[in-house]
Order: sequence, then C-alpha cells, then structure tokens
Amino acid sequence: MITRIIGLAVKEVIHLRRDWWLPAFMLIGGALELLVVGWATSRPITNLPLMVLDQDLSRASRRVVTALENTGTFAPAVMGGNRQEIEEAMDRGRINAALIIPPGFSQAVASPNGRPVLAVILNGAESVSATAALRAIEGTARSLGEAITVQRLGLDPETFAGFDPSLRVWFNEALSEAYYTVPAELALMLEFVVMLFAALTFSRERELGTLEQLLVMPFSSLEIIIGKALPVLLVGFFSFNVMLALVYFAFSIPIRGSLLLLELLAAGYLLVEMSKGMVISIVSRTQHQAFLLVMMIGMTDFMFTGYAAPVESMPEVMQLIANVIPAHHWLEILRGILLKGAGLDILWPSVAALAILGLVIVTFSLRFVRRALD
Amino acid sequence: MSFRRIRAIARKEFHHILRDRATLILVLFTPTVLLLLMAYALTVDLQHVPLAVLDYDRSPASRAFVEQITAGEDLDLYAQVNSPGELEAMLMRGEIKAALILHPQFAEDLHAARGIPLQVIVDGTEPESGGFAVEQIGRRAEEFVTRALAGRLQTLGLPAGALQPIDLRVRTWYNPGLDPQNDLIPGLVSIILGFPALSVALTLAHEREHGTMEQLMATPVGRAELLLGKMLPYILVGLFNAIFIPLLAILWFDTPFNGSFLLFFLLSAVFLFSILGIGLIVGVFMRTQAAALALSFLLIFFPGFFMTGVFFPIASMPEIVRMEALSLPGTHYAIITRSIFLTGVGLEVLWPYAVMMAGLGFVFVGIAALFFKKRLG
Repeated sequence: MITRIIGLAVKEVIHLRRDWWLPAFMLIGGALELLVVGWATSRPITNLPLMVLDQDLSRASRRVVTALENTGTFAPAVMGGNRQEIEEAMDRGRINAALIIPPGFSQAVASPNGRPVLAVILNGAESVSATAALRAIEGTARSLGEAITVQRLGLDPETFAGFDPSLRVWFNEALSEAYYTVPAELALMLEFVVMLFAALTFSRERELGTLEQLLVMPFSSLEIIIGKALPVLLVGFFSFNVMLALVYFAFSIPIRGSLLLLELLAAGYLLVEMSKGMVISIVSRTQHQAFLLVMMIGMTDFMFTGYAAPVESMPEVMQLIANVIPAHHWLEILRGILLKGAGLDILWPSVAALAILGLVIVTFSLRFVRRALD
Repeated sequence: MSFRRIRAIARKEFHHILRDRATLILVLFTPTVLLLLMAYALTVDLQHVPLAVLDYDRSPASRAFVEQITAGEDLDLYAQVNSPGELEAMLMRGEIKAALILHPQFAEDLHAARGIPLQVIVDGTEPESGGFAVEQIGRRAEEFVTRALAGRLQTLGLPAGALQPIDLRVRTWYNPGLDPQNDLIPGLVSIILGFPALSVALTLAHEREHGTMEQLMATPVGRAELLLGKMLPYILVGLFNAIFIPLLAILWFDTPFNGSFLLFFLLSAVFLFSILGIGLIVGVFMRTQAAALALSFLLIFFPGFFMTGVFFPIASMPEIVRMEALSLPGTHYAIITRSIFLTGVGLEVLWPYAVMMAGLGFVFVGIAALFFKKRLG
C-alpha cells in the first residue's frame, strides 16, 4: 500500500514539474506576497496630507502647526491661502484634513478667560485616514490646552492636576504594527495556498478527463486520497516555514513560545484546511468553479479571524459562527505562541476547539471524498 | 481588426459561460456574497471591549471613577481583581483586552489636585481593541477630572471650561459622523468589481490546457481580436455587477451616492478594461489554469485587496510600495468610487484617474498581445 501511495504522490509531483509556476507559487509565492503586503500595511499611519489656513499668523498659531507636524501623522503642512483652496483640495481628495486657525487665536490664548478656537475639516471619504487625523489633532489640542491651563492657573507644570496615564502595551512593547498585522496576514496566505492547492487536485483531473483513468487503476479510494493529500501537506508545511522565517527575520516578530508546539499545531491546521479544499475539489466540476468556491470560503474565514475587526464586537450570531471557523482558532494560537509566549496551559481552549473542528471536518471530508470516488 | 470577429469570439466565450450553470451563478453572485460578508464583518462598531480593574484605593472616588469608565457600551467591566498576577493571567488567556490599575492614593491625589498616576495595560496583539480602550479611558478620565476640578477652578475665578480652553470645532465633510461603513463600502465595491479579471486569466489558460488554442489560431481571427473577444463577456459580467453592486450598497446599506450613476458606470467600464488587461497577461503567460490562478492571486487578488488604499492609506506606504500601488488600476478606481459615492464630484476632478486607468489598460492589453504572439510562435 505504501509503495502505491508513494507512486501516486510521485505522479502528482511530476504533474507539478511540468508546470513550474504552480509549485513555485505554492512554495514561495505566499511568502513573497506576505513580504509585500506586510511591508505595505505594517506601519503606523503617517504622511497624511494636511492643509493649514493660518489667519492669525502669530507665534501661537505657528506653535500649533509645529505641534501637529511633530505628531508624525501628517506630512509637512501645505499652507492654504483661503477657504476656496481648502474646498478644492478636499474635493479633489488631495488632503485628508484641513486646519483653520482664525484671527484672534493668539489673543484668546493670552487672555486669561479666552477660548481660542481651532476649526478642523476632515475628509470623510477616507475614514481610516480621517480618524487617524482626528486622533492626532485632538491629542495636540489637548496637550496645548493643558499647557495653557497650567499657565493660567499659575501651577507648576510638574504637579498639574490631571491624570498622568502611563500606558504599557503587553506582548508588543515597541508598539510595532507588524506584530498584529503580519501574523494575521500569514494565516490568510497560508489558508489560501493550502486550500487552493487541495481544491485543484480532483477538479483538475475531472476537467481534463483523467479522473477516470485514475479510478480504473488498482488503487483504493483511500490510497488515492492519501496520495493526493501528501504533496499538498508537504508543500503547505514548507510554505508555512518559509513564511515563518520571513516573519521572524524580515519583520522581527518574536517567537516567544515553543516552536515545536507551533509546528505541531500548524501541521494539524494544515490538515483541516486541506480537507476543506478536498471537499471543494470533489464537488467542483471545473477548476474555475473550485477557484470561486475557495475564494468565497477563504474570504469568509478571513472575516472571522479577527484581523480587521475584533470578534468580540461583532453581533452575537457572528460570534457564534466564528467559533466554528478553524482559522479563527488558528490565529488565536499563532498570536498566542508568537507574541504572548503562551503554552498549552493557556491555549488549550483554542487547541481543543481546533482539534474538535478538525476531527469533524477531516472525517466528513474523508468519507465524502471516498464516497464520491467510489 | 474586425468587430464581427471579436463578436464571434465573445459569443463563443458566452456559450462556455452559459453552458456551465454552476460557474455562471458563482461568477455572477460571488461579488454580492463577498460584499455582504465584508460589509458586515469589517464595519463592526467597537464595543464591549473587556476590561479588568485593579483598584488599590477602594475609595468612593475610585469606585465612581471605575463606574464612569465602564458606563458606556464600549468598555465592559470583566472583573475587579486583587493582584497584578490575576490581570496578567487574564491578558494572557485573552479574556481581557485592557486593564486599568488605580494606585492607593487615588482619592487623596484627586482631592489635592495632584497628578494622578493611572496605569493602563493593553494587549498589544489586538490593536483595534487595545488602542480603542486606551482612547476611551483617556477621554472618560478627562471628563471625570474636569468635573472633579470644576469647583477648584471656580474658587480661582475661572470658568469650568478653562480646564480644556481650546475650542476644537471639527467638521467632517462628505461623511458626517465619520461612519466607516460609508466609505468602506464604496471601497469594497471597487475591490469586488475587479474579480472578473481572475476569470479571464483562467479562460485563456483553459484554452491552452485543453489544446483548443491551436484551433482558435487556425481561424482567421487575429491575436488582438481574440484577446478582446475573450475580454468582452467578462466586461459585460463586470458591468452587470457595476449596476447591481452599487444598488445593493445604496438600498441595503444606505450608503450615500452623491455623484452621477452614468459616470460611475462609464468609469467602471474603463476600470474593467484595465484590470482585465492584467488578467490577459496572466492568461497569456501561464500554460495551465492552476498556474494562472496562482499568479492571479499574487498579481490581482491580494494586491487589489491590501494595496489599493481601501484599508490602509497609500500616503503612509513606503515609497516603492506606493509606486506599485499607483500602477494598479484598482487604486485609481477606489478613489473614483469613493469620490462618486461620497464627494459627488464629476469628471472635472476625476479625469486624471480615468486617464491613468485607460493608459494602464492599453499597456496591459498591449503587453498581452505582444507576448501572445511570441508564446505561440
């Protein structure tokens, strides 16, 4: 039996050799993509275009502009001449935010009862940037306001009444954006690579009419399945390790927990995703269909991993759905081991959930594919 | 170049699509399903972020403070704990996303109007919840201290508002209330409408894999005609979605649409032409559908998702990545979609993006046609 399975696996590999693009993609494509996407998205929001209309032209107003530029959120401010200019730049989407410092700003700052006004216009057509801009502007206004109050009250700035929050970010002390974006992107790429590869196995044979040939050969359906699954698993596992190395070396993301545990769980997770791909592969009549199904299922999974929006904030129904998505538990495990250094004692709920889901999915898939083949 | 021959190829392609019902349904409705899914999953309001509190003071003032912090829907008091160890364990297990530590002299410091140390710990593996918690705690703390200190300010003869003297007046144009759904959905529309490009890459590879490309080449159809004929049905499928998907956004999600629908439709056609051009290139170079698929994911799907400025501002990307983003038709189309939906501007503003997309389209189709010949020769 073993020799026959190996024979089948070798046949798969020979297919792949004919078309070297596919294995290249499967082995390192995911990693390359992770490099570019990770690089593009793993940074704080900076360099947003800002226009300033300074009608006060005083030292106080210039201080505001400098303070804003020092937040790092904005590109050096462009000085606008009038409101029309702001309006036009907004319409054209050239700027994300505009700050208007009305005349009399410095006077209001200097007078003991003054309420200096700062007007801000945000470009709501890009809410991600607008929110970041708002945060930076609010923060700047707050610290300027505090400075003004301290001065007015004649207080010593050191003992100023107010909160003195000290923030500690656990598991990510340097506040690196890459820590949370890149592991999630790794999970996404890995899932797509494995599921896609698995989904093409039978659908390809069927479309090209070679499935018949395979079935008349003296293989049992189990042997066929294992022979098809082995290359997918091996390639997926290799791909995972390339990506992991990339995450570690290129993005300096620590592996704080046990690498062995991570590899073991990764192998289990790959088996689950591969099983899903196999089912897709057997229900699709063409590769095109298989691809469309992979895309739909892969994207659904991705939405529930908690990459873009935290699952706890989703409506209850969606939280329930998230529980039956293997990728959701996998990301939990991946982040836990990489960033928190968590072990089985802490991760066991996710591991158990993944194991149960995996058992159900793999068993179902095996029976389903076997029946379809027989 | 003859339109009749292009039409003949397009008709043949249509037959392929129509014959295979399951694929047809998938091609037509994958975009709808994905829009519904992403619009719901990606635009959740952050709320119910679990927070644990370690209150060393246990005074009426500190209790009032904790109450105020957790008064809203956004932060939930998960537990009051007695030791830092408990906080640590909860953060580790992911039960809480943030923790707040009040030190023993909280009430005293508040009364004396000294600086009040406030320790906030957040889980750095989940930025959304963590950053959000910090922001909310900061805001509530400020409100709290403002109220507590109002009396003291009055004795100094200052208005209560003096604690925050700057009057910040924020207005948000095009999307009052800064509802993320309003600009994310047009962005998603732009991502989703590019999907037919993957199908076009597949059909070309399909002909080659099945050996029917030879037959096609034996007909009097020219190379460019063949490519355009292959594109046409998918442009039509795309245009069907260019009507249907915005309607879904407007009617189902109440997304504002301030521009011209006709302009949106026309520019969508230009976008489809250019993004399908990438699909053609992939289809021309790859010999099997599997390889075409793999390359499409690398060149079309993932970049279209992450790098067109929908989720992450292009201005903040590194220089080289920004260049790559600008050479993707989707980047320009995302700007167009959001502008037409929200800003409501017309061609007088959008023409540079339209020209860029058209230019990229001609380059892509040109490359495809050029290499198509060589690869067959």
